Amino acid sequence: MKTKIWGVIFLLIAGGMAQMCKNRKAGDIDLGTLMPHEVNEWKSQGADKIYTEETIFDYINGAGEIYRAYNYKKLQARNFTREGYPQIIADLFDMGEAKNAFGIFTHNLEGEKVGIGQGSLYSGGLLQIWKGRYFVSLFAEEETNESKAAVLAMGKKVASSINEDGQLPSIIELLPEENLKKNSIRYFYNHLILNYHFFLADDNILNLAENTDAVLGTYQTENGKHWLLLVNYPNKENAVKAYNNFLNVYMPEALEEGILQTENAKWTAVKIKQILLTIVFDAPSKGAAKKMLFAVHK
Amino acid sequence: MKKKTLTRRDFLKVAAVTPVMGAVAGSLKIPAAEKPLQKSKVVLIRDENALLSFKKPDAEIVQRMLDEAVTTLVGEKDVTKAWKTLISPNDIVGIKTNIMRYLPTTFEVENAIKKRILDAGVAENNIGIDDRGVRKNPIFKKATALINARPARTHHWSGMGSCIKNYIMFVPKAFEYHGDSCADLATIWKDLNLKDKTKLNILVMLNPQFHTVGPHSYADKYIWEYKGLIVSKDPVAADSTGLRIIEAKRKEYFGEDVPMKTPAKHIRLAETRHGLGVADPAKIELIKLGWEDGILI
Repeated sequence: MKTKIWGVIFLLIAGGMAQMCKNRKAGDIDLGTLMPHEVNEWKSQGADKIYTEETIFDYINGAGEIYRAYNYKKLQARNFTREGYPQIIADLFDMGEAKNAFGIFTHNLEGEKVGIGQGSLYSGGLLQIWKGRYFVSLFAEEETNESKAAVLAMGKKVASSINEDGQLPSIIELLPEENLKKNSIRYFYNHLILNYHFFLADDNILNLAENTDAVLGTYQTENGKHWLLLVNYPNKENAVKAYNNFLNVYMPEALEEGILQTENAKWTAVKIKQILLTIVFDAPSKGAAKKMLFAVHK
Repeated sequence: MKKKTLTRRDFLKVAAVTPVMGAVAGSLKIPAAEKPLQKSKVVLIRDENALLSFKKPDAEIVQRMLDEAVTTLVGEKDVTKAWKTLISPNDIVGIKTNIMRYLPTTFEVENAIKKRILDAGVAENNIGIDDRGVRKNPIFKKATALINARPARTHHWSGMGSCIKNYIMFVPKAFEYHGDSCADLATIWKDLNLKDKTKLNILVMLNPQFHTVGPHSYADKYIWEYKGLIVSKDPVAADSTGLRIIEAKRKEYFGEDVPMKTPAKHIRLAETRHGLGVADPAKIELIKLGWEDGILI
């Protein structure tokens, strides 16, 4: 009998924990609990608004496509007002996974780092933060000393109420550090985002998709700017397919496989190793292009 | 036949043969553009009293501005007759508006257009006003004429929210046009046969937006009371004129030439690559009416 009771208790606890886990899955969190209602005399005004993948365009128009490209789940918006001061708009995005929150954070890298959450940038009234699977945008419609202080204080409160940290996508670590421009790393897995930062082709010639990981870094040397694009595929077959497609579409006339001087007199080079595809764009010389590839694949 | 993939190298090739122009992506000339069009007429009209309060247009003044712009554009003094040169009573007319929550076309502008279409003899049940629903809207499905009206603003994907861009809602997958700063938006007009159907383009410059910031791509701080309308049969010429004003405002505000985060090259490419209209100011006959203070152009 006692064994049965303990068994039932165990099942109830296990069931409860399973339910808790289920409740905490992406999109199910009450995002409102992560935001304050009052900061530095700014008080929340009106009811929060919630936007899903389907309704985000009602709130942020065409730019909603960026969030969808990072598999966005839900957004909760709260407005803050203070008599005689500019309005502050707080947008908290549940991006489902930390890699998406980090990715959307890398979409706009303007601003100064202010040490909040796992990454934060402040510029002209706008504070952007990522932490765990959350991306936070706090925007004062006008920048004043008071509104800046309030936005930063609000950011700290939101970050401290997010009880999770996210892992950076491991592909980031493969970018060689030498000559890498600060604040130039873009993480994504959607060719629209690649094209926004660096136009490659109107078609998705690298077969970027949710099961790929891509990172773009900008490098600056005395000979100019060049770019390094790394893409991890789920398996070797997919990587080879993308590699061959890139060779066929982007450099069909290359005399030496995987390296070519393009029309701007710079060099593009591509290399595949297991599931990792590496492409250098606009290297100043053939040697420099090969050196970049080697730095990744050493 | 499978379409050719357009890559970055195609642009580099063009830049290589036209080095002086190469630095400016918007000036790229791709073969197969249609022959240059004739000079396009654009009317820029402004009224100091066009706004009652912040972002709130004065309906009567807006109507007057539109009337004066249209009569000037078509060269017919009588407003109804002027509209009848654009629209016939048998037309089914879609007014393609823009409902962006912070900066819509505005009810006042929509209503001013609708009033004149009614005056031209079109039955009310043959007039529709829509933005995101145009693909399902029965009026737009069978429309024989379109009036294109939207506010001018900087835009995350296309550099500028333009008259050309306003037709992106006619395609099922708008994001397919976002690549390369929406370079080929003009194809929508050609592919869907919207060019001939569009009788008038109205770029609303009452409160243009000159800078984009944050997830909403909007802040009150970056709009100004220009109190104008740009009206033309040529969407490219209207947009090109609007873009010049926005660029001038940016220079005034920032104190230097600060390029837009996304270049609005789709406007120039609409001329050079797609032959939709003219973007080159030298090919535009610009008629300025009304309030001149701070006209920036």
